[in-house]
Amino acid sequence: MQTEVIESIKFGIVSPDDAKKISVVKLTVPDTYNEDGYPIEGGLLDQRMGVIDPGLLCKTCGARAKSCPGHFGRIELVRPVLHSEFSKIVYMILQSTCKSCHKLLLSDEHIDEYKNALAKLDKVEEVATEAIEEKVEAGSLPMLKRLKNMKKCERCGTPKGKLKFSAPTYFYVDDYKLKPDEIRDLLAAISVEDLGVLGVDSIASRPEWLVLSVLLVPPVNVRPSITLESGERSEDDLTHKLVDIMRINLRLEQNLNAGAPQIIIDDLWELLQYHVTTYFNNETASIPPARHRSGRALKTLAQRLKGKEGRFRYNLSGKRVNYSARTVISVDPNINLDEVGVPLEIASKLTVPFYVTMWNLEKAKELLLRTEYPMIINVISKDGKRKRVIDLNREELIKDLQPGDVMERQLMDGDVTLFNRQPSLHRVSIMSHKAKVLSGRTFRMNYCVTPPYNADFDGDEMNLHVPQNLEAQAEASYLMSPQYQIFSPRDGDAIITNNEDGITGMYLMTKEDNYLTKEQAVYMLSIAKVYELPEPTKDGLYRGRDIFSVLLPKGLNFTGKSAKSPFVIKDGKLVNGVVTKETFGRGDNKLLVKIGKDYGYEVLKEFIFKSAKVADAYVTLMGVTVGVKEYTTSSKLEVERVRLLQETFGKIEALISQYKTRKLEPLIGYTLRQSLERMIIAELNLVRDKAGETLLRYETSEDNAAVEMTRSGSRGSVLNIEQMTMFLGQQATLSGGRIKRGYYTNRVLPHIEPGDVRPGARGFVATSYYSGLAPTDLFMHAVGSRSSEVYKALLTARSGYLYRRLSNALQDYCVDSDYSVRDANNNLIQTVYGGDMVNPIFVQFQKLDAEEKE
Amino acid sequence: MTTKSDHELVPVHELMSEKEVKTLLDSMGMTLEGLPKIFDTDPQAVKLGAKTGQVIKIYRREGKREIPYYRVVVEG
Repeated sequence: MQTEVIESIKFGIVSPDDAKKISVVKLTVPDTYNEDGYPIEGGLLDQRMGVIDPGLLCKTCGARAKSCPGHFGRIELVRPVLHSEFSKIVYMILQSTCKSCHKLLLSDEHIDEYKNALAKLDKVEEVATEAIEEKVEAGSLPMLKRLKNMKKCERCGTPKGKLKFSAPTYFYVDDYKLKPDEIRDLLAAISVEDLGVLGVDSIASRPEWLVLSVLLVPPVNVRPSITLESGERSEDDLTHKLVDIMRINLRLEQNLNAGAPQIIIDDLWELLQYHVTTYFNNETASIPPARHRSGRALKTLAQRLKGKEGRFRYNLSGKRVNYSARTVISVDPNINLDEVGVPLEIASKLTVPFYVTMWNLEKAKELLLRTEYPMIINVISKDGKRKRVIDLNREELIKDLQPGDVMERQLMDGDVTLFNRQPSLHRVSIMSHKAKVLSGRTFRMNYCVTPPYNADFDGDEMNLHVPQNLEAQAEASYLMSPQYQIFSPRDGDAIITNNEDGITGMYLMTKEDNYLTKEQAVYMLSIAKVYELPEPTKDGLYRGRDIFSVLLPKGLNFTGKSAKSPFVIKDGKLVNGVVTKETFGRGDNKLLVKIGKDYGYEVLKEFIFKSAKVADAYVTLMGVTVGVKEYTTSSKLEVERVRLLQETFGKIEALISQYKTRKLEPLIGYTLRQSLERMIIAELNLVRDKAGETLLRYETSEDNAAVEMTRSGSRGSVLNIEQMTMFLGQQATLSGGRIKRGYYTNRVLPHIEPGDVRPGARGFVATSYYSGLAPTDLFMHAVGSRSSEVYKALLTARSGYLYRRLSNALQDYCVDSDYSVRDANNNLIQTVYGGDMVNPIFVQFQKLDAEEKE
Repeated sequence: MTTKSDHELVPVHELMSEKEVKTLLDSMGMTLEGLPKIFDTDPQAVKLGAKTGQVIKIYRREGKREIPYYRVVVEG
């Protein structure tokens, strides 16, 4: 086949002559079917424009519905009408030309001025949008503006008259309404050169063609009629609209032939214009939309293309895939990190290819015989014919089955799938999980893999895809499996770790003096499918940390951080320290990094899974919960709270009086007033920190579950507890400052004195969630909440789009075999990747212990 | 006179010979067009008297290592 490279594409307007050439039939009857239900010849469903019923032959090309491309018809309008979508261009041209000499209003010298200005810019060869914009800015716009403001023709001196354009299709000259045929005559008389100056390519698009006299009618397969169940025919909106146009066209013709009065002709003409306008765009401004009998607005040409549900965004940009499923996700800690629970309902619809070979032929036939769940849905024979397996043809298919055929089998346990949550900002937003078919209607996943997806279970939905060949399956299960994604390529930190209860439980269990009975130990370990008990103590009890040690890989040596003392593992046994978020979590020298690097990802994955399960079991056994008790202040703490606040308020009062007497020493670079504000804020921040310290000093008991969770690092911060038991503290606005306006300009509420800068007047809340907020405090809190909510929304939208642009720009960069960074065109981006050839995923920090070295 | 290009933060620029450029491009499996660019009006290019099509080798410090970067001179 001969191929050519398309250099450019030019769009133009269809002239009346073109329309006559393109069309295969002139439509004359404003109707669709006759009484026999047969398409009327010359009607809107004339079979020469193609057929839609299977079996019928197209009267133009002789092909059947499937292969007939469809052919255009035409309506010849007895009186021309304007094309409403182009009326702005018509206005521009009418404005720039003389009514009597039909030339541009400007004299030749003036035109040359603009021509020269444009020619200069033409030398810039770039076709970039900026170049075009520049051209418009510099040349065309000033010229058009000048033409618009001209009062008379510079050539023949004829006054221009007042040209008025009224959307969508009306033009007036000195209050005389121009008829479309008059406009057409005006446009037709303009020379090619003059149009060229205005930027109109008059070979492809003569302006008078914007006034329609022949209307092209799209083929029937563009506007197919539907047969309802009742046997009734229902026509497409476009057909309805075309019927309207033809009906008015016919009436206009009859009236013209009968010599009706001008006023009736004009009325019908205008009606024809309305129908043609709404045929193109039924949402044309300042025109009532044409409606269906039911009152629904018709969906005409523009509506088919426009907007979210239009052809472009819905059908062309939006593509859908097969072999995929979507449903709500929910938790299941019993499922491994690299598994996903798939509902039976989904598993029986999704399929995986089963390749029939001479070695598995018997097994294949056995499978094909099945009539319930793991069964074969389709058989694709060697020659590529796909047959659905039904009871009627099963025997025959089994007989014909031969090596080389492919069967489509229902999804089964262990099949490789891709699991995804949008927005897919990350590589870890899509990972491969092995299917595990379960009852229920939701996808199930381990809660330790929620962070990479940023998923939670408050109604989130996720997508599942099934790779359809062995290569894809192998690639997915190695490259995209969660265990290979535990460490982030950004900084080498673990993205998949123990979290929530998985930390709380470990923390509580590995505490210094924690002993468990044999029953408890066996219960917890058996849940994690660990059938091995540590050495019991003399009393037959088991230490919590020994149970943790059982989960560790054999022979592990590790030193890390913990709550108070160092966290030490010697020869696979935890000898000192408590497990906290710090121990597992992110950053250098963490337990997970050590296990991952020394024992491999598979071991690490099992460790995370099992330790989370044991931790869950421990939490379940012990019953960790928070209630009002956790947030009740002791009287001692309440005294301390009042004292702290009084002390701070006293200091602030002192600062204010110093300010008033001008004795306050200003901070460098700040005015006196700014200094006061900063000093007050500093005091308030100080009291917040002090309150936190006090809280921890008084809440030493290990019974307070909220404080224990904070200590373990699994959930909640000191500030959270402080706000519930002591006071809320300063409420900030989005600018970071204290709240200072709201009621007029310099006070928040009407009862506050203008200019009062004391803490209470500027949004400092001294009450707690437990004690209840005072009405003014509630208001201050609401101000703070609102502004942070608004700010959050703005920030996510902005940073999200920024990140999208960045990642799209960098997505083709990759590290070459010589460690240089290249883009898709093999251009050099960086000589040495990262300057050090280091992949952060494989980085491990090691501390050398001088003593241990001996 | 001290100019900006003498500043200690400006890395060492060095003009490569034609032979060096050929070896470099061969080892990287790429053409001259694939290299990052530098204007011939760049102070460093002017200082070296670099002509369009020549390659400037820049020793940039990254951490504790000195890594060569290559830039082909283009018309500015």
